[in-house]
Amino acid sequence: MSPPQGPPQHPPQRPLPPRHRQNLIEQAVGAWRPRGLDGAVRTHPAWADLSVTDRQAVFDETLHQRAIEAALDPDGLSSTGQAVLDRITRG
Amino acid sequence: MPQPDPSPRASAGLDRYYRAIAAGDPDAFGAWVAGAEPRVRASLHSFAQRVDTEAVVQETLLRIWQVAPRFQPDGRPDGLVRLAVRIARNLAISELRRTRLDPVELDHLIRLADEARPSPPPPDPLLRRLIERCRALLPERPRRALSLRLAARGGRSDVQLAADAGMKPNTFLQNVRRARLHLADCLTAGGAVLPGIPQPGGTT
Repeated sequence: MSPPQGPPQHPPQRPLPPRHRQNLIEQAVGAWRPRGLDGAVRTHPAWADLSVTDRQAVFDETLHQRAIEAALDPDGLSSTGQAVLDRITRG
Repeated sequence: MPQPDPSPRASAGLDRYYRAIAAGDPDAFGAWVAGAEPRVRASLHSFAQRVDTEAVVQETLLRIWQVAPRFQPDGRPDGLVRLAVRIARNLAISELRRTRLDPVELDHLIRLADEARPSPPPPDPLLRRLIERCRALLPERPRRALSLRLAARGGRSDVQLAADAGMKPNTFLQNVRRARLHLADCLTAGGAVLPGIPQPGGTT
């Protein structure tokens, strides 16, 4: 497996409209990630479009969200853990 | 296959799952992931602005599953977690080198990653009850959007989930956002302390 690959890392220079920015953040906070042809987990395209400030917000909000998800799950798994377990058990 | 270290210290914490994981037991791996994921994620804090840390965490956990049969405990606690943290960091650094990040900035991020940070707190047993109570108070569409997200287990994109919900993608995402904001306010009002969001007093 290769390191996560995806869109360019340089954030956009123009500020995004607020609602568009919020939607990008929400997508990046979710656990879904695209996969490459080699099966490697790839960077979310929405994450690549975010400013560095918003990327930091994604990290912080993801910490929070995963803690909530893990508390709700009978096995203590967040959506990240569930995605990984589903991948190893279902392919 | 190398034999795991039988010393008592090796079975501390999450190490108790090591043998079963190495033998290919997905339930044991799930139990280990539940404990290890917050620590692996937190270890990537210094890379948050430059690397999609969610992708790194997922790739790291998948690699741990692959290499566990070859892993040799070193006698210190949580060896597999420490390995995961190293893999996560190496993946993040590889991604930064691939994007040709300035070497000076890369060195700075690596030094920041080396700084000790407090481990995420253990789960609060009362938290689930509070979350369920707050979730029940959500308006209908945000509640439905959040439920679909949770049920998908990271396996469906938001475009797919929006279609499942009968919403446009932007509308679905706005409802997810409303759900998260409502939950955060409700949990804060209920006294819950969760990582990632500033608490009164300035801690996160």
